[in-house]
Amino acid sequence: MNILSLIIFLPIIVALFLFFIKENVKLVKIVYIIVTLAVLLLSLDLYINFNPDDSMQFIESHIWIAEYGINYHLGVDGVSLGIVMMNAIIMPLIAIGLYKQRDNGGYWINLLFVQGGVMGAVLSLDLMLFYLFWELMLLPIFFMLGLFGYARSNFIAMKFNLYTIFGSLMMLIAILYIAVVHKEQFGFYSFDLNELKKLSFSSMESLLVFGGFMLAFAIKIPIFPFHTWLSDTYRSAPTGIVIVMSALMAKLGVYAIWRFLFSLFNDTSHLLAPYFIGLGLFGLIYFGISAMSQNHLKRMFAFSSASHLSLIVVGFFIYDIYGLVGSSYLIVAHALSSAALFLMVGIMFERTRTYSIDELGGIARVAPKFALFFAFFALSIVGIPSTAGFVAELLIILGAFTYNIYIGFISAITILIAMLFMFKVISKVLYGELSAATANFKDLRFHELLALIPLALLILAMGIFPNFFIHKIKPTAKYCSTNLEGPCYVK
Amino acid sequence: MSNEFIALVVPALLLISAIFVLLFGLSSYYSKSRAYYITIITLGTSLLMAISTINKVHSTLILPDIFNSMIVYDTFSATFISLFLLGAFLTLAIAKSFIYTSEYFTFESFVLLLFSLFGMVTLSMANELLTAFIALEISSMSVYVLVGLNKNSLRASEAFFKYLLLGSFASSFYLLGMMLIFAQTKSTNLNDIAYFISTTDLNSQLLIIAGGLLIMITVLFKIAAVPFGAWVIDVYEGASLPITSYMAGVFKIAVFSFALRIFLLDYASFDDIYDPLILGGAVVTMFVGSLLAVVQTSVKKMLAASSVVHSGYILIAFASIGANTGNAAPAIIFYLFAYFISAIGAFGILSYITNSNEKVINYDDLDGLAKTHPLISGALTIFLLSLAGFPSTIGFIGKFYIFTSAIEAGYTIFAVFGAFSAFISIYYYFKVIVHMYFKRSIKKRVEYGYKISFIFILASALVVLWGGVGTSLLLNIPGIDALNELSKYAIKSLY
Repeated sequence: MNILSLIIFLPIIVALFLFFIKENVKLVKIVYIIVTLAVLLLSLDLYINFNPDDSMQFIESHIWIAEYGINYHLGVDGVSLGIVMMNAIIMPLIAIGLYKQRDNGGYWINLLFVQGGVMGAVLSLDLMLFYLFWELMLLPIFFMLGLFGYARSNFIAMKFNLYTIFGSLMMLIAILYIAVVHKEQFGFYSFDLNELKKLSFSSMESLLVFGGFMLAFAIKIPIFPFHTWLSDTYRSAPTGIVIVMSALMAKLGVYAIWRFLFSLFNDTSHLLAPYFIGLGLFGLIYFGISAMSQNHLKRMFAFSSASHLSLIVVGFFIYDIYGLVGSSYLIVAHALSSAALFLMVGIMFERTRTYSIDELGGIARVAPKFALFFAFFALSIVGIPSTAGFVAELLIILGAFTYNIYIGFISAITILIAMLFMFKVISKVLYGELSAATANFKDLRFHELLALIPLALLILAMGIFPNFFIHKIKPTAKYCSTNLEGPCYVK
Repeated sequence: MSNEFIALVVPALLLISAIFVLLFGLSSYYSKSRAYYITIITLGTSLLMAISTINKVHSTLILPDIFNSMIVYDTFSATFISLFLLGAFLTLAIAKSFIYTSEYFTFESFVLLLFSLFGMVTLSMANELLTAFIALEISSMSVYVLVGLNKNSLRASEAFFKYLLLGSFASSFYLLGMMLIFAQTKSTNLNDIAYFISTTDLNSQLLIIAGGLLIMITVLFKIAAVPFGAWVIDVYEGASLPITSYMAGVFKIAVFSFALRIFLLDYASFDDIYDPLILGGAVVTMFVGSLLAVVQTSVKKMLAASSVVHSGYILIAFASIGANTGNAAPAIIFYLFAYFISAIGAFGILSYITNSNEKVINYDDLDGLAKTHPLISGALTIFLLSLAGFPSTIGFIGKFYIFTSAIEAGYTIFAVFGAFSAFISIYYYFKVIVHMYFKRSIKKRVEYGYKISFIFILASALVVLWGGVGTSLLLNIPGIDALNELSKYAIKSLY
């Protein structure tokens, strides 16, 4: 079995078996940690063996449904490698950080499903396979929202589910349409990305099909007008799912834009790029301002996360090597920081039973370690120098400047908005007077430190030695940005 | 065993055991459970016989001298016969406890079931309009009575009467249509009609087209397409659960088998006349059906209404047949199988957990089922996901085929409509999941039904999953490709 298949199916298969020992929560947790660590080891192995001079590697291809040309086609390149790595790193840390909480087996089983689903969606190079994982990933999230969510969780789970499935169904029609066009042009169906990139569309066709795909991705990310599910869902979701959504699922949407839309509809993407850059910049400001006005901690971070994702979208649509490297770097950097931050919010909620910023305060006095980490992660999201976010944002801004000086200027300024609300959080939550909720705040426990320290170290390492990480992305990025005529990868 | 032999033995076997049960049912020795087992064994043996002939293309006229080429046994009919028998078998096997505990399930119900199956088997083999009509009426009559089995329930009697009246009225359209066709072609044999159509011009085919429209009304009535399907909710609600499952899963497929045969053989060349009608009907059916399903408060009625929506999807594929891509007709057969196994499973679970009390299952009755019966609710979830067309289930592959064939025929916009109604269906199917998993209930755990019934439920759930992801590469079990291949054989054997 290929290592990629192993990474995808190990968590899924183990999760299936865990259903039968759901009652024994302790065992489930331990198995969860072992499995996710095994996936981490496999991914490390993948990372080490990944050849930095090449783009698409570890390809695995079998025929799945021969009649319709659907293949089981997997592969990893520089950009997807980053997402695989961060997925593998974050998942075990969730369990370590929340070890004392969440005494329900279903929670961990669903998270394992999510991990497999995300890995599958990132690694698949066949549209049907991608669609399968893309939808499958939704099911455990739906169950977790409904089972473990707070306040009106049924309604919110359903809303989230309907919202995202609507996008997916439009994408499904677009996928089928492409396959039929392929049949018209080449005489047989195909859903394989390598085959489909040879297609040529009329401009109207490609605009509509592009729209179908974009709807699904824009809802997941979310890009500006499709964000209305965001704040409710984040507020109600349990910590594990918030981390998954902000760190993995949303990133998957941006990644999919790059992977599928850029390689299938190169011309249309170029044509529409200015609009999406505009939409991205608008979203960056809009979500930033929304975040500033929130009083609920999780909602605030939800908007902050959406604001950064808009920046990632901008980076991709700049169509430039700096923008691309910066965006894929920011995907990983932001995922690490936001996962850590949401983890800490979860830890905080366990102690204070509140998410309201007004009811918190003075934590730095009673819990110095907590305050240190919280401030560090909050600042790393903003992108202060020596953190990974800084490198990524710098690259995107450089790209933006080469694209257009005004765009560069605007994106450089808008990043400052993140400063405003992060400083507000830091000052209100960590400093000031102690409140009733925070008076007996316990500092970080050992297992919580165990989860947070690796993330902090990784963020620092990525900020201080960026070259060590970027050289894995570069060949992919170079190929895509220099080869503007053709699609983004070959093999 | 030759194909001819099987084609004669299967209906004969059904008929003989029906008559046997009818004759000896009143004797004390042949109690209800014996009648049940006789029926099950009959179904099992004839299923094995029929299923052995579906994996190659063949077509034989059965005793053409005696039956005057009215009966044909080909892969097409073999496939459908296997489906009917499997459906009836599963319905009975899953609903065992329901049947045992319900007073009104007497030995006559098995007789009626066997008679209706006999009708369906003949219907799928009919190569002639009159034979098809008689077969359709045999099965319809038996199903009418099955709907009204529960004599003490007003609702069942109402459903029976409504279905009987409307059904007989709808059948008369068929007769009229057949008469028109006969007036023009001087034959009721499908091959003769096809020959007539291919050798004459449109001007001398007007009566055929009009007759076809009238026959279409009957077909649309039987598959409960809007606007002819106003009976469906009341009847499905009034009938007891196993019968509802049987009607939605098996009887509907029988009607589709005949519609598909007549459409492919005779009417495919009139596609530019019929397609707008069929597509219009499909859209109305899908959206009105969705609307009906959304507003229901009982799961049984919701499933009944959603079966209307599924008819709508199939109608889209019917319209796509004319484009002659060769994919639409196999897609219909695949979808019928996908819908059939999921619907039988979903209804089956409802009958498995209702037992005899006449209470209609509301959404609230399912609250907390996942806590007390994780396996049952897991299986129901799989069936519902398949009905909703969620990836990794057979229902998704079915929708995938149908939408692809629609896009290929140039009806992209109708594929989008289909996707819209699939989107709405997510709401009402997931509502059941929400109730099972997220709502708390104070009900105590009760033991349901027979273990053997549950094994059949689980087996169907596995088939649903395997039909969604299966490939012969893994474990060397035939998967999606094999099913697709079988539906292709079935269509090929028609020509």
